[in-house]
Amino acid sequence: MSRASARLGAPRLGANVMGLALLPSALFFALFFFLPIGLMAVMSFLTGNPVVMPNVVATTRHYERILDDPYYFEVMWTTVRIGLYTTVAALLLGYPLAHLMARVKSRSLHALLLMAVLMPMLTGIVVRTFAWMAILSDKGVANQILQALGFAPMQLMYNEFGIVLGLVHIYLPFMILTLTGVIGRIDERLEQAAQNLGASPLKAFCEVTLPLSVPGILAGSLLVFALAISAYVTPILMGGFQIMTLPILIYQQISANFNIGFAAALGMVLLVLSMVLVLAYNHILAAVSGQRDLA
Amino acid sequence: MLSLKVGRFLYLAVNWAVLAFLLLPILIIFVFALNPTPYIEFPPVGVTLKWFDKFFASPQFMSALLLSLEVAALTTIAATVLGASAALGIARGNVPGSRLITAIMLSPLMLPAILTGLALFQTYVLMDVGRPLWGLVVGHCLVTVPYVVRTTLAVLHNFDLRLEEAARNLGASPQRTFFEVTLPLIKPGVIAGGIFAFIVSFDQFPVSLFLVSPGQETLPITLFNYLKYDLDGTIGAASVVSILLAALVVIGLDRTVGLRSYVKL
Repeated sequence: MSRASARLGAPRLGANVMGLALLPSALFFALFFFLPIGLMAVMSFLTGNPVVMPNVVATTRHYERILDDPYYFEVMWTTVRIGLYTTVAALLLGYPLAHLMARVKSRSLHALLLMAVLMPMLTGIVVRTFAWMAILSDKGVANQILQALGFAPMQLMYNEFGIVLGLVHIYLPFMILTLTGVIGRIDERLEQAAQNLGASPLKAFCEVTLPLSVPGILAGSLLVFALAISAYVTPILMGGFQIMTLPILIYQQISANFNIGFAAALGMVLLVLSMVLVLAYNHILAAVSGQRDLA
Repeated sequence: MLSLKVGRFLYLAVNWAVLAFLLLPILIIFVFALNPTPYIEFPPVGVTLKWFDKFFASPQFMSALLLSLEVAALTTIAATVLGASAALGIARGNVPGSRLITAIMLSPLMLPAILTGLALFQTYVLMDVGRPLWGLVVGHCLVTVPYVVRTTLAVLHNFDLRLEEAARNLGASPQRTFFEVTLPLIKPGVIAGGIFAFIVSFDQFPVSLFLVSPGQETLPITLFNYLKYDLDGTIGAASVVSILLAALVVIGLDRTVGLRSYVKL
């Protein structure tokens, strides 16, 4: 009797023990991720640090400050504008390569292309931003080539152009990998059928593959936009401390002003914006993989 | 017919240009690191290793490199244990809401990393603990555990449950089955996740930004501070060292445990 019950109970006991394996990470995330994010939300509604200051009260003044002062609206708009430029450029550059990667027949060629896309991802963002500074600075590679060809040197960085170029390089792999996944699921025979019926390859692409890849375009764009608006290193270095974006402003509130409450409020704005974008991204990709058989 | 050829040519030309855009900047770093003049000369005028000498002789860069390696090593160990146990719990624990738990474990990758750093920094200020090393490692773990969870789950989902059943049917205890069947089978996924964790931690900037203590900074932060004022070959040499170290970790582990057959990137 006891043996039988032990044998019956054993797998369930094993499963429960495995469930316990979740505990350390659950505790870790609760303590060091969700609690801090919650504290940030609380701090954004307080007048100061409640631990060291005795008379801290609840307030909405940090949010009012963001809404009232046109300077902060200007900063948000700069951040969003840079994000939009980066997204459009990454889409235009990324689509052709994603299409090639999804359609290439040779496995080794596909592996080579994948390595070429992953290689920049494995290089740190500071290092990659440095590479663009070496190329675009006043005495950089681009200007030396321009001068050797007899052109006047141009101001290629310390402006939004330089920031966008650096960001496109950093986030292009994310666009390419998202697009490749979606384009790879489109049945190639649909395009061939259109061509057999007399459509030119361009027309077949525009009327068959392109519309079917719209979810990939949306998902990749949301991802790149969300990453670009939360970038810090590239905007500050390529912008030469001239251009203010939301993440730069957040860091400045901590490092220069030590205004934790206002930094928290700005952080909440970025948090809510990113969460909306990321949820939309997940929703679109889930819908695509759900209708895999249709396309 | 002609337009077909032109179209094909344009398609390939655009793709070559995009590949060049992705890879040339990384090549430029190597040129810059070996170039003898303090400002980048194009085309290069010679080859020198003096910037590497300067990098390895700089106490500031060396302490940053050592700190980065230390943080990356601690992060890799902690993230591997936390992430692998979480994945086992999700896949084998029979706990309700495993999809939600997975989403939660992956969520730090979904939020701007700079906010993870900010939120932790504020928590440490409220706790009045200063900026300890463990605080930095905790921040790095948050953005690396998801990689370990993901790679370990991928292996767990692909493996044949009958192997575990067979071991049990042959009389092995649950513990023995776990250590002699399950653990060796998920090892490649755990190791792949550990490699990601090491590289992500070693190159980490946004999480570290708020959490490093002044005067004791990781390599990416030191590079960033240097770049604010200077743009000479030392920074190129430092960049090359950090690229090669990351590559070395990947290649080294590939050689020793043979990742290629297991990891689908």
